[in-house]
Amino acid sequence: MDKKKVVEIKGLVKNYGTRGFQTRVLKGIDLTIYENDFIAIMGPSGSGKTTLLNILSTIDKPTQGTVLLDGKDVTKLKNEELSQIRRDKIGFIFQDYNLLDTMTLQDNIALPLSLNGVSSQVCISKCQTLAQIFGLKEHLKKYPYQLSGGQKQRGATCRALISEPEIIFADEPTGALDSKSSRDLLERLKMVNDEGKATILMVTHDALSASYAKDVYILSDGMVKCRLTRGDSRKEFYDRIIDMQVSMGSDFS
Amino acid sequence: MNLAKLSFMNFKASFKNYVSLIVSLAFTVLIIFNFFNLMDSSVMESLGKINSQNIKIVIQCVIVVLCCFMFFFIWYATNVFLTKRKKEIGVYVFMGLTNQRIGKLYMLETMMIGLVALIMGIGFGILISQLFTMILVTISDIEVNLSFEISLSAILWSGLIYFIVYMIFVFKGYINLVSSSVLDMVSANRQNEYVKQNKVILFLKAILGIMILILGYYYAIKEGGMETMANALLAVVLVIIGVYLLFGGFIPLVYQTLASNKRFLYKKQRTLWINQIIFRMKKNYRTYAIVTVLMICAVTALATGVAMHERCQMIHDFENVYTYQIFSQKDNLQNEFTKVIEEHNDIQYSSYIEMLQVEGSFASTTHQKNTFALIPYSQLKELAQDSHQTFELKQPQDDEVIDLSHQYILSLITTDELEDIQIQNQVYNTIQRTTVPYLGYLQEQVSFYCVSDDEYQRLKSTETSLYVYNYKIENTKMLNESTEDIQQHQDCAGLIKVDPQNDSNQWIKMLYPVCIFMFMVFIFASGSIIFMKLYNDAFEEKERYRVLRKIGIGTKTLRAGVQKELLLTYIVPFLLMSLSSYFSVHALANMMQTDLLSVNILSVGVIAIFFVICYGLSVVIYCQNAGIYEKRMS
Ligand SMILES: Nc1ncnc2c1ncn2[C@@H]1O[C@H](COP(=O)(O)OP(=O)(O)O)[C@@H](O)[C@H]1O
Ligand SMILES: [Mg+2]
Repeated sequence: MDKKKVVEIKGLVKNYGTRGFQTRVLKGIDLTIYENDFIAIMGPSGSGKTTLLNILSTIDKPTQGTVLLDGKDVTKLKNEELSQIRRDKIGFIFQDYNLLDTMTLQDNIALPLSLNGVSSQVCISKCQTLAQIFGLKEHLKKYPYQLSGGQKQRGATCRALISEPEIIFADEPTGALDSKSSRDLLERLKMVNDEGKATILMVTHDALSASYAKDVYILSDGMVKCRLTRGDSRKEFYDRIIDMQVSMGSDFS
Repeated sequence: MNLAKLSFMNFKASFKNYVSLIVSLAFTVLIIFNFFNLMDSSVMESLGKINSQNIKIVIQCVIVVLCCFMFFFIWYATNVFLTKRKKEIGVYVFMGLTNQRIGKLYMLETMMIGLVALIMGIGFGILISQLFTMILVTISDIEVNLSFEISLSAILWSGLIYFIVYMIFVFKGYINLVSSSVLDMVSANRQNEYVKQNKVILFLKAILGIMILILGYYYAIKEGGMETMANALLAVVLVIIGVYLLFGGFIPLVYQTLASNKRFLYKKQRTLWINQIIFRMKKNYRTYAIVTVLMICAVTALATGVAMHERCQMIHDFENVYTYQIFSQKDNLQNEFTKVIEEHNDIQYSSYIEMLQVEGSFASTTHQKNTFALIPYSQLKELAQDSHQTFELKQPQDDEVIDLSHQYILSLITTDELEDIQIQNQVYNTIQRTTVPYLGYLQEQVSFYCVSDDEYQRLKSTETSLYVYNYKIENTKMLNESTEDIQQHQDCAGLIKVDPQNDSNQWIKMLYPVCIFMFMVFIFASGSIIFMKLYNDAFEEKERYRVLRKIGIGTKTLRAGVQKELLLTYIVPFLLMSLSSYFSVHALANMMQTDLLSVNILSVGVIAIFFVICYGLSVVIYCQNAGIYEKRMS
């Protein structure tokens, strides 16, 4: 494979708690993400999905192991550099949107780019383009409190995409959405990915969401239990994920 | 564990958080105590009855102003404190405490804070009371003997007033806690609706605000006769309303317009701080308006003090041009009186003039009789030379006069119209007015007019002349040595002696330090109100800054945004104050006939320095409270 490696995780271990009362949440994870991948990580509640994502996105630090992002070991970087990496290389989509309620949707979307010193003309045009793709053109002037959950999450996705990051990390992006809004968002994410515009790592406990990805990793008990790869049909992929869930017998919620 | 114990533990544990609150409360107590103490001190007695009465009235006014001020300050401080505590107190909800018990806990805690502040305020107040009186007396240049004394009634009064005001707000906080829902207490993160305000309403408010403010400024500097006082009052009301409308309309409008211009907005950190200011504006504009008005008051108070001081000095100098002013029916007695005085005193300079006392009236109100004293032009010129005073008066024609006026502390009539006079059916055209104290104290008591020599001779044929002999002695402390000798002189028809020690305007001198003091209190208050507001707001920003840090906005960028936001928060009231104070001080300068521009500039400069300090502190503390430097994000 001659695809570019975006993220490379080796022997990742994460303990929580103080000495003596430590629980090992991640027990050695190896994972490589290539350019234009769309990976979903599934697992039951408490299996360490968020922990993994936080470490990858440099918000948290691992106990052991390395995380190479674009060739750099992020576990060994200083705070200022980490901010820079988060700003330039990573896009975030959170379960609770995390849009700023003080500004309009347009300002929210343009925020990361405008703070990067990119010319305001570019900010405006990129914002327009993304809003077009995500069906938010009419809502740009609205404030978050005037938007539905789905619109907010699509807005947050635009914000994540606007600085054209190497990779997008999404933690249960559909967790707070109804199924129609979820599908709407996932379709668009898939489209962006298909067009080769984004590499996505998504965490979810929901099989339907996962079925939009190209690959699904099942996380259980702090380790990657298995990997499923999508064929041609999303429906068939969805069934396979459900089967796997049933066979593992764990409670995915 | 009982409530008292719990609240005491709370109090001890978070004492550090209370320090700023306790210090500011203690500060207000300290100030009020000192004024009460001053009123009871023996300094008052030694000033003479009229002076001490007047000063007591001044101090009472100051105390009333300070009490109002304390009321708002405590309101503000406890409010800030309440919102902060509300979140922490929320924890007790989970411990199963009822609202009532949480309210009681709050009451106990705040009462402990209040008590500590009271004790500190009175304690430090007693410690510095001597210093305070000394500074006041020194600045006001009054000669009294100081002795250390503490008035028990001052302690009781200041303590009682503080206690009542404080308890009102403790109780208000209690009611607030008891009636608030659990949800409010646990999370203050309610939905923020109505971020943007309706542009049409803002526009109307802005236009109205600007118009009212300009109208206020116009009335402030408009010159006029007796209506000046009404104009000044009107100006005050208009400026206050104007400032409110400006903060409620014009300023948000400017920010919103800037925010809707995306080409402007998406540069540097503007997205962050302009949106932030717009968001805060609706909640905070009253605070900014209060602070602006408070600062205008401060500058005006200081200018009043300085002007009063200068006027007093001027009047004092005016009255003390001569030590003795001797009247006589006879002329050419200069040498005789000189001899008498020189027996005990050395003469610095002397002068002599002839005057006519005539019945007359102002040309506009002929039915009202006045007594005028007329003096001939050439003799006045000579007198000016003898008493070393400037002389720049035009030679009056036979039907012209020059008004020899005097200094006023404050004149409500700001137009400078000359009034013609009428004597024996002849109208004289007043061509000039002077406030040079040619006749010193006498000039203050009698309406002098200077006429041409020919006209004087003509009038002299019908009236009898009076002769005035003026002497200034070297050592005015010795002035009583010669008075008897003068009075016993056979040709002395009357004597005015001017004792510089015995100044009936001394109480006004006291205004000077009091005004300086009020200036400092107001400035301190306005700075700390903005400071406290920001301190409190910063906690609410924590969540927002956490999100920003998560999506990779660096500490430097965030801090730069905060710096701009806070800078604007401080600078807008400051600029509006600077502009408004120019007009208020200008109006005052007109009434007091003193040039106050330098005072204006100086006081604005002092405020600027103080605000820079507040700003610097605010940035540091805001960043800390908003968690910008925190490492943890998840
Ligand atoms: N900051 C923390 N301190 C201690 N334990 C934590 C912390 N964060 C998460 N955990 C624990 O780690 C485990 C995994 O959590 P998480 O990654 O949030 O799971 P998921 O997102 O898959 O539901 C859970 O058992 C949780 O209790
Ligand atoms: Mg999770």
